[in-house]
Amino acid sequence: MTGPKRKQIRWLWLALTFVAGVATAMFAEELILRMQGNRLDFSAPRIHYLTGRPLARLKNAEPVAFDIQVKLSAQQASNVVRVNTARFVISYDLWEERFAVTRLTAPRKTVSHLTATEAEEWCLHEMSVLDVNGIAVTQPLWAHMEIRAEDERESRLFGRENISEQGISLTSLIERLSRPPKASQPHWELEAGPVTLEQLRRGG
Amino acid sequence: MNRLLIAMLAAGAVFANAQDDLPAPPAPDAALNVNERYTVERVQVKRKAWQQEDQVSGPLQKELDQLAGQKLNQDTLDSLATRIKKDLHVPNVAVHVSKGRMPDRVVVTFEAGEKEKGFDIDVERFLYHSKQGWTGEGGASVRVNGNKVTFGLVSDADRLTERYAGIQAGYERYSLGTDRVGLRFRFQDYHEQWNRSTLQAALPGELYRTRQHFIPEVTVRVAEPLEWTAGVDFARYRTFLPNPVAGLTARTESSNAAVTTLRYRQRWDSGSDYKQELTASYGLRSGTGFLESDAIFTRQVADARYQMKHGHQTVKVGFMSGRITGAAPMFERFVLGNSETLRGWNKFDVNPRGATRAVHGSIDYIYRWLLLFYDTGSSWNVGEDPEQKQSLGTGLHAGGFEFAVGFPVKTGHANPVVYVGMNF
Repeated sequence: MTGPKRKQIRWLWLALTFVAGVATAMFAEELILRMQGNRLDFSAPRIHYLTGRPLARLKNAEPVAFDIQVKLSAQQASNVVRVNTARFVISYDLWEERFAVTRLTAPRKTVSHLTATEAEEWCLHEMSVLDVNGIAVTQPLWAHMEIRAEDERESRLFGRENISEQGISLTSLIERLSRPPKASQPHWELEAGPVTLEQLRRGG
Repeated sequence: MNRLLIAMLAAGAVFANAQDDLPAPPAPDAALNVNERYTVERVQVKRKAWQQEDQVSGPLQKELDQLAGQKLNQDTLDSLATRIKKDLHVPNVAVHVSKGRMPDRVVVTFEAGEKEKGFDIDVERFLYHSKQGWTGEGGASVRVNGNKVTFGLVSDADRLTERYAGIQAGYERYSLGTDRVGLRFRFQDYHEQWNRSTLQAALPGELYRTRQHFIPEVTVRVAEPLEWTAGVDFARYRTFLPNPVAGLTARTESSNAAVTTLRYRQRWDSGSDYKQELTASYGLRSGTGFLESDAIFTRQVADARYQMKHGHQTVKVGFMSGRITGAAPMFERFVLGNSETLRGWNKFDVNPRGATRAVHGSIDYIYRWLLLFYDTGSSWNVGEDPEQKQSLGTGLHAGGFEFAVGFPVKTGHANPVVYVGMNF
């Protein structure tokens, strides 16, 4: 290969890497990590999942289940060190025009009289990684969050019992999330990292 | 002793922690859906216009009625939607829940989807009347993607002074961009037979052998119970008696009329033991020179029907009033004394040519299958004095089947009329 051509390819790779880096940085901005003592909190102010078809169903007095999974990887993106999975059932009060959320996976919790944004924030807050002990403060960390609205057709087929604890176990929830989402299923994926606990503690 | 107590407390603490790890016991559904604390105010089943006659079964309707007054339950709604889907043979039933009129009350609407494709054969009417003979009307319809094509045969000796027999065909598009507007074309081709009384009473040129109608119409669903239809009825009929105006030869005449009808239909079928239905309409047909009509006339008719059902008892009250000005063809004229009006009277005794004025009222009472009815009314022409006629009758009524005998209330000997038929 001649010198100028090799130089061209190198520039192309550099440009691609830069674009990919910028894209990743923009993407990563969607999921924000914060340390609160020994707890790792997540927020995603730019992501609104109470929209579209799930919101239409909610405003028709239907409860809609959302499965959320957070994976924390250390050292490299494929080395998952913490997984947090939970199912939330959200309903919209027709008369009060406020949302109520129930976290089905233990510890079971219910909050009500929330706006759409507050309901979204509450779910993400509930996904905090409570214990980061054992993770070196200088290790690079990656966070991956997936939010899936319950498939409408599935909820119709199996009835509403599959959105309660009776109908779905944590194992089956993880198993569901390990499968790719269906085309009709609204879902969102957010990523953050690499970032170290030290940087997060400094507020970086 | 103290050690034992501490050991027990420690064991208790471990057990308590172990319990914390277990999944929480299922909470009542109200925790998952905040709306389940609200009470159902009203339940309604909505169907597409051409599926209005499709009804859910009696037991299912009862369950739907019983839903009113209960707390909202999503599982119950889903289960009922599945059963409605099966009952009405529709591809889907959507459940809509909205705020009710009263605080903390909600309205549940089951909306039946459109049958995308389907083939139906319907016997719309089947009747034997002791004074008029047989009447039958039936047809087939095919639905494809919101379009409906119908073809049927009819031989009707009941509704008009003539027996008309022939074919009926139609095309209907329920939704024209929006569900509020629909389009319909109908074509009818009939051959006529006349009763001796009518032949003797008719004026020259008034009767015809054949008639064809082409009726394009637009339907606008103004608001939920209110529907407005407008169109033109292009009718051609071939007279078989010499027309004194046209000369001795028989000729084809036209009756091209602008037609418009305003219909109201409301049901109150939940929230109490009483099921009520009110239908009312006002129709105007105007044969005008603007449409190059030979027959220049205006026909107005208003009718209303109210039905209330409670347990095994049903009461029906009906009223009809009509007026024609100008020279309307025979098929526009009012007829009383058939299986729907002045039951017990023979229409050829009441007015063999039909009439240009009519008023009629009826009351039906049904207990289980026993039917009792009272009809009263009058039909007359301009220049005649209206004479009120009455009839009483009894019979059997089960579903759409009816077998009845009606007696005209008049001096002299009773000459009852018997009729038996389907789809009343």
